Amino acid sequence: MRERLFNNKLLLVILLAALAILPFVTDSKFLLSMMITVFIMAVYGMSYDLLLGYTGIVSFGHAIFFGVGAYSVGILLAKTGDKGLLWLAVGLAIVLSIVLGILVGVLSLRVKDVYFSMVTLAVGELLFIIAEKWNTLTGGNDGLTYIPVPKIFHDRLAFYYIALLFLAVMYLFLRRVVSSPLGRTLQAIRENEHRVRSLGYNVLQYKVASIVISGVVATLAGAMWALFQRYINTSVLGLDRTIDALLMTIIGGSGTLIGAVFGSGVITFVHDWLSSLSGVSPIFERYMMFFGIIYIIIVIWFPKGIIGTIRDKWMSLRHSRRS
Amino acid sequence: MALFLSLLLNGLALGMLIFLIAVGLSLIFGLMGVLNFAHGAIFAWGAYVGWMVYTSTGSFLLAILAGTAAGFVIGWVMERVFIRAFYGNHVAQILLTLGLMIVMTEGIKAIWGPNILGFDPPTWLQGTVPILGELFPIYRIFVIGVGLLVLIGVHLLLTRTKYGIIIRAGVQDPEMVQALGINVKQVFSLVFAFGAALASFGAVVAGPMFGSIVPEIGMTHQLNAFIVVVIGGTGNFIGAAVGALLVGLTQTFMAYYLPEAAVAVNVALMALVLILRPQGLFGARR
Repeated sequence: MRERLFNNKLLLVILLAALAILPFVTDSKFLLSMMITVFIMAVYGMSYDLLLGYTGIVSFGHAIFFGVGAYSVGILLAKTGDKGLLWLAVGLAIVLSIVLGILVGVLSLRVKDVYFSMVTLAVGELLFIIAEKWNTLTGGNDGLTYIPVPKIFHDRLAFYYIALLFLAVMYLFLRRVVSSPLGRTLQAIRENEHRVRSLGYNVLQYKVASIVISGVVATLAGAMWALFQRYINTSVLGLDRTIDALLMTIIGGSGTLIGAVFGSGVITFVHDWLSSLSGVSPIFERYMMFFGIIYIIIVIWFPKGIIGTIRDKWMSLRHSRRS
Repeated sequence: MALFLSLLLNGLALGMLIFLIAVGLSLIFGLMGVLNFAHGAIFAWGAYVGWMVYTSTGSFLLAILAGTAAGFVIGWVMERVFIRAFYGNHVAQILLTLGLMIVMTEGIKAIWGPNILGFDPPTWLQGTVPILGELFPIYRIFVIGVGLLVLIGVHLLLTRTKYGIIIRAGVQDPEMVQALGINVKQVFSLVFAFGAALASFGAVVAGPMFGSIVPEIGMTHQLNAFIVVVIGGTGNFIGAAVGALLVGLTQTFMAYYLPEAAVAVNVALMALVLILRPQGLFGARR
């Protein structure tokens, strides 16, 4: 029963329909852009949730995958000027992220789970520095500007629907993954790794599979980001980008998938609101402090995040009403 | 030869600094299983508190004292208030320390501003000394000397005192230590605070060596410290010392000969250790 609320198909269809008619209600280009950001970041956040919420391992370098997706598309299209290479770029990005995911996963998880946190941080930092220094390829800190993209991505309204579709497809895909035997095994690992191992499962393989799936989805989000912005710089690989994923997942609610979507919305809009207040008082320039405090409060007192907590409250309310 | 010696001394000085950060991280991790992601932020707080005391009083010794004390207090409070409630839940602990890292780094920006601040050595540590016909900054020699003293001190503390023996036993098997009637929880707070104090002590010493401090100063050093922990093996004092010197020397030599690859070589070193000896160079196989 607990799974029903927010995973309820009817509710999701209503939400999707509301989002689909949004462009007819408003013609604010700014709002549409914000929503596109929310959609892409939501996919990125959901991919992180597969690792954190469903497998129980903490990555400090999730931006690796986002960055690989963004840079593959950015570099290939900007350097060749050929928009037709988009699919090749996406394919390349997927292959790269699979290789990276397996490499990082096998190397670190062979020892201990926390090694994964340390190694992902180190690899993320390494890729960040490579992107900064390899000027001829990545444009360094200035990044790549005017990335040529197929015409349809220029149209904001079309992009809005593409991004919404992207979110819906990725949500369904990840929901399918977490309810598959693979996903069930991952959750079992999260709950009790020893028992899963003693049942004869190769825990390492399952964890690496989770990293690879999560990495590929994050890579696709990164590729979408490059298509949306038509400009990328090293920030797509930075630690801040990884922290974004953490904030979205934790604040929304880890282990719920849909939580990351809400988290993405909350963070994108609150961030925008707080930065617009920076004229009022310089303390609002420190908006990350605000997110940090909220994040700590949620980790300590509401480990299920906003969505998980509301879901629990709703359930207990219905329960008490019935009895 | 002169160049080699110069790089060697610089590398040793950097290695000593990395050691001061890594040893606390490694002990905390080895003893309590907590990967403290806020360790670099504690380092940064130590540097800023030291800088503040130094610029207002002009006394470098007071600055070191204040910075170290700040680290000790932050570490103590952090363990008591945040970490303690979550022993046995590694994921929550890592997530919490990451949140604390964000808030502490932003706190520095709010108090001291986000910009770079100059940090000069005190006059009695300025200038150069001739060694084998080459001139070296006195301050680097000072860093190496202080680092060596702390290294020996911590080593004696861990091997010769009752607390040290409890800590090393705790790294091996905390439950057994508990069963022997020792209050491990109390030792946890102390080690956490002690590790934080070592890092912030290193931070005040590091300030004049680099000549300036920025709010993000902790992150670079923390990355190096993580690499050291992986290379040396968790909870291993000798491993932390050797690993830190190794990383410091590689970093310095690479920065001279091939600056683009300095970080890459350290990450490669870490990967190599993970492939060949996953438990770390000095770690015991479990």
